[in-house]
Amino acid sequence: MSSSTLTPAGGAPAGEGEHTAQARGRVLPFPITGQEIVLIVVIVALWIALWLGTPAFLTGGSIVPLLVAMAPVALIGIGMTVIIITGGIDVSVASMVMVCAVVVAKAMVDSGISLPVAVLLSMVLGGVLGLVNGVLIAYGRVHAIIITFGTANLFKFVGLRVFGGSTVNGIPDTLDVFGRGAAGRTLGIPHSFLLMLVIAALAWYYLRHTPSGRHLYAIGGDADAARLAGVKVQRRVLSAYVLTGLLTGLAACFVIAQGTSTLAPNVGAGMELSAIAAVVIGGTSIMGGRGSVLGTVLGALLVQTVASGVTQLGWRSQLASLFIGIFILIAVGADLLRQRARRTA
Amino acid sequence: MSTAVSPAPAQAPQPEDGSAQSRSRLGQLPAALLRALLTQRIVLLLVLLLVIVVTMTTLSSNNYLTAPYDLSYMSSALISAVPLVMLGLAELLVITSGRGGIDLSVGAIVSLTSMVFGFAYGEWGWPLWPAILLAAVFGGLCGAVNGFLIAYVGYPALITTLATYYAFSSIAIVINDQQPISTAPIQEFFSTARSIEVPVGDGLPIPLGTLTFLVPVAIVVWVLLNRTTFGRRLYGIGTNDVAAQWAGIDVRRTRFSAYVLAGVISGLVAVVTVAQFASARPDAGVTGTGMALPAITIAVLGGVAITGGIGRVAGVVLATLLVVWLNAGILLAVPGNAGSQYQLLALGVVLVFAALLNGLTNRKYGRTG
Repeated sequence: MSSSTLTPAGGAPAGEGEHTAQARGRVLPFPITGQEIVLIVVIVALWIALWLGTPAFLTGGSIVPLLVAMAPVALIGIGMTVIIITGGIDVSVASMVMVCAVVVAKAMVDSGISLPVAVLLSMVLGGVLGLVNGVLIAYGRVHAIIITFGTANLFKFVGLRVFGGSTVNGIPDTLDVFGRGAAGRTLGIPHSFLLMLVIAALAWYYLRHTPSGRHLYAIGGDADAARLAGVKVQRRVLSAYVLTGLLTGLAACFVIAQGTSTLAPNVGAGMELSAIAAVVIGGTSIMGGRGSVLGTVLGALLVQTVASGVTQLGWRSQLASLFIGIFILIAVGADLLRQRARRTA
Repeated sequence: MSTAVSPAPAQAPQPEDGSAQSRSRLGQLPAALLRALLTQRIVLLLVLLLVIVVTMTTLSSNNYLTAPYDLSYMSSALISAVPLVMLGLAELLVITSGRGGIDLSVGAIVSLTSMVFGFAYGEWGWPLWPAILLAAVFGGLCGAVNGFLIAYVGYPALITTLATYYAFSSIAIVINDQQPISTAPIQEFFSTARSIEVPVGDGLPIPLGTLTFLVPVAIVVWVLLNRTTFGRRLYGIGTNDVAAQWAGIDVRRTRFSAYVLAGVISGLVAVVTVAQFASARPDAGVTGTGMALPAITIAVLGGVAITGGIGRVAGVVLATLLVVWLNAGILLAVPGNAGSQYQLLALGVVLVFAALLNGLTNRKYGRTG
């Protein structure tokens, strides 16, 4: 229906005429939603509060680790956003991180592979695991949460077998480009954060301005209607899980780089929940059909701000989960209120 | 759709009447068996259970296992079935209530209630029964938080219980400064809860928890679902909550009750866990993969439809027996650390297999239990 307005989007969006921009404005929602504005306000308020509480907060020594730590969660969150927009979910990403991390770490220790090979290996491996999920969900036509609970166990088994009952020791510094050290920064900004931003921008453009990106929203809104409208539902759903696999593979490299030279079998544990929390706080509807990558990045930033804020204030680190839980409830509650207002308006 | 089911009946000569009928009935026998196997989850589980037990005892008698896989080993393995069955039943209740019902927070409720029970029984010196009652009530309150948000406010269940999972597990850890409670009364509680010899035949060591917690809870849930109006309403709202609303059912209250009941059961599991560990641990329900994921796995394997409205107590119980006895066998077949890893593999394979089978069955025979 909107192909006439969407086709020109393939070109550079900046140099287009008034007419197309107007037409697109009518089809697409405003680039930034109320939830995202609220999130920015909350994050700024938290940063100011933390800066007043602990003056060390707004220094490079505190912000850089925060940005480095949020990068892998945000990266997985981008993939999770795409999946949740189609109405699915993937709870196996933590196990995927573990498999990718251990295989890459072992390869670096045993055969000393170079940086590009390590990243490529991790992403291909993640992509294959995502493909397994995607095929089972799209063609097995089973609810995503059930399948990914199952594959989470399977991947974890694979990862633990590769670990072989011990940790991986003496990991070389091949991946330090993504780390928290001096090698991982340009002009003081961590590379992992920058790379995540670039990928987020690409994903934002893909979801908003390409036909196949819009198809993902259509599938989440009503899969049957999307199929009748000519969307290749199964192929699109499959691609969402493969994309998440690729991004998770890259995130695994970040995780290795951020850790010490030892990799323990609990690597990645709990990341599926943090990623889903970031997506949901960012305003993506768990029912599918609505959501944005920008919100997810902001959500991940909020989650990480809370986590590092709690530690900086000298509180028990587990209190962060309590706040994250409350933030999830507030974010979803605000979304419900807006939906109700939209329906009555 | 049904034409694709079985090409065999189509080949049966239709004009002949008398003999053809009996022949086609004979010809339908395998199809009927297949149908029963695919549509009746209980039948499938029983067959799988039989396969596992026969395989394991055969392996055992040929000395392939590190220890004999016999009745006494199987019955002592039941100790790990107690929390699984109970939480599986909790998931049965909330998933059956429909509209994406699920409870990720059961493990966190177990952790938090463990601490509360530990305080009451271990620190404040409450007698056992009031302490157990407190655990059930407190678990119910946690469930009520979920139920209120989901049924009355309209939050999606997955997100609500994710949030309360975070909140409850965090409070459980902070409440006693990350320290477990293992005072004298709780240590004694452990010794009384150890497996007792039940005089059946040679005196099988039946774990006490199965008799004091598992069986009563299973019976109560079965009665609730099958012999009360609450059960009929629950299946009603799970199948179609709009229709249930028009039929005069208080949909919100029924759904709310399902989450409260799941909380109560989780509270009782907390008591069992404290007895098993001889201490009230702040991370009892959330260590490793936690308790929620295995419970959901058990429920789905037991034939509970994730879309709601379908699910039986017997399915959950049989699915647990299947997983527990399979795991027990794996521990004997694969010694050491690798054993627990192969348990993950088995759980994953069984779950994916069951889910794919559900999908296949739905397409072949329509929606069935």
